[in-house]
This record gives sequence, structure tokens and C-alpha cells, in this order.
Amino acid sequence: MTNNRPSGFANPLFQLGLNIICVVLYELLLKAGAKATADPSTSWSWVGITGLASPLIWLAIVVMLLDLVIWLYVLKYIPLSIAFPLSRLVDVLVPISCWLILKEGISSLRWCGIVLVIIGLAIVAKPAARLEERL
Amino acid sequence: MTWWSLILILVWLGTFVAGQLFFKRAMESSGVAGFRNRQTISILSAGILLMTVSFFLNLGLLQRFDLSYLYPFQGLSVIIITLMAAVILKEKLTLRLTIGTLLITAGVVLVSMS
Repeated sequence: MTNNRPSGFANPLFQLGLNIICVVLYELLLKAGAKATADPSTSWSWVGITGLASPLIWLAIVVMLLDLVIWLYVLKYIPLSIAFPLSRLVDVLVPISCWLILKEGISSLRWCGIVLVIIGLAIVAKPAARLEERL
Repeated sequence: MTWWSLILILVWLGTFVAGQLFFKRAMESSGVAGFRNRQTISILSAGILLMTVSFFLNLGLLQRFDLSYLYPFQGLSVIIITLMAAVILKEKLTLRLTIGTLLITAGVVLVSMS
């Protein structure tokens, strides 16, 4: 851990936010690409290699590589046991963006799950904020 | 779910968790010895290799199952990674962090069940 605290664009928590945006993006791209190329009859389909036929998968891979660099930067500053749970904000953003953009319904049970994740994130975010002060 | 798909899901999760641990170790190593260091490069490469295996398995699983079916397993990765970070990387696991992580895991599982 370095002594000088990076601020602005280099702020690890800001980068964690960028990481989350990348993950939401590539998860949606992966699902779309996997769906477009699904052919369970071929014997090699279990390893997912047939997915490479889809340009969406390649786009997802580009986003993932960008995300890898961002994620490694985040890990340089934040402990894995804090950074990883926080990165799961993704699990809230995916259903909510499906609800807002695709007008998909969200059941009450799913709302409960979303609320639980948000409370959990708030609890984990506190030590992260304290860490920020120490950086 | 067949035994085969259960094994694939476990390998997918295992390689993902291990990859994250390698990434963290690599960044620790880079902080001490720099990025050109042989140790840093080999740990990082191992992490990328594990993540690549995990990526293709995930793709194969996504072709077979709905994302909502696979999501609870991804939710489990939160608690597994936090535990492993405490055990293997000796990160400090506070009660607060444990409770938060458990809530996130439970929430992710609920989201995917409905």
C-alpha cells in the first residue's frame, strides 16, 4: 500500500465504479452472445468455445480486458475481501437496468434480494471508506 | 442438473476464486518488487490463465442454462472469496465485513430465485 493517496480519476473507489460499469456491460454482452451461438448438440459446446463465433462475445472480451486492468489497479489499493463484495453492486444494477431499460418486471421477492444486497454493500462500504482515509 | 454440469459449475467457481486470489497476490508483489519482476509476472500469468479457463466454462454454462439459474452460484463466490482472502491472504475479516458479505450473498441468491 502506498502512502500518497491517489485522488480524482486515479481514486481507487472511482476506478471500482468504472469496474462495475464494465462488468454490467460485459455480462449483458456475454449473455446475448452466448444465446446467439447456443448449439448444445456439438460435443465441445460445454467449454464455450463456440461462443467465439459471435461478435458480441469478442466485444465482451475487449471490455473484459479493459476491466482487468482497472480491477488490478483497484486490488493494488483495496483488500480483496472488501473490493470483491463491493464489486457485486453489479447484482443490483443488472436487474434494475433490465427493469428501467427493458421494462422487465421485478417480483417482490427480487426487490427483497436487491434491498438485502444494498444493505450488505452499505455495511461493507464503511470499512472501505475508512481505508480511503488511511490511503 | 447432471453430475457433469455440477462438476463444471464447481470448476468454474474454483478457477474464478483462485484467479482473484492470484490477482491480489500479483498486485501485492508488484507493490514490493515492481511489475517487471519475474515473480509478479508469473503470479499474474497464473491468474490470467485461471480466469481464461473460468471465462470459457462460464460461456459454455451460459449456453446451457439461464443466467438466473447460474446467478446463485456467482453469489456464492462473494462469501468464498472473502473467506479465502482472510485465510490465504491473511486479510482482516471483521464482524462487520462478515455480516455485510453474508447479506450480499443472501441478496444475490434471492434476486436469482425470483
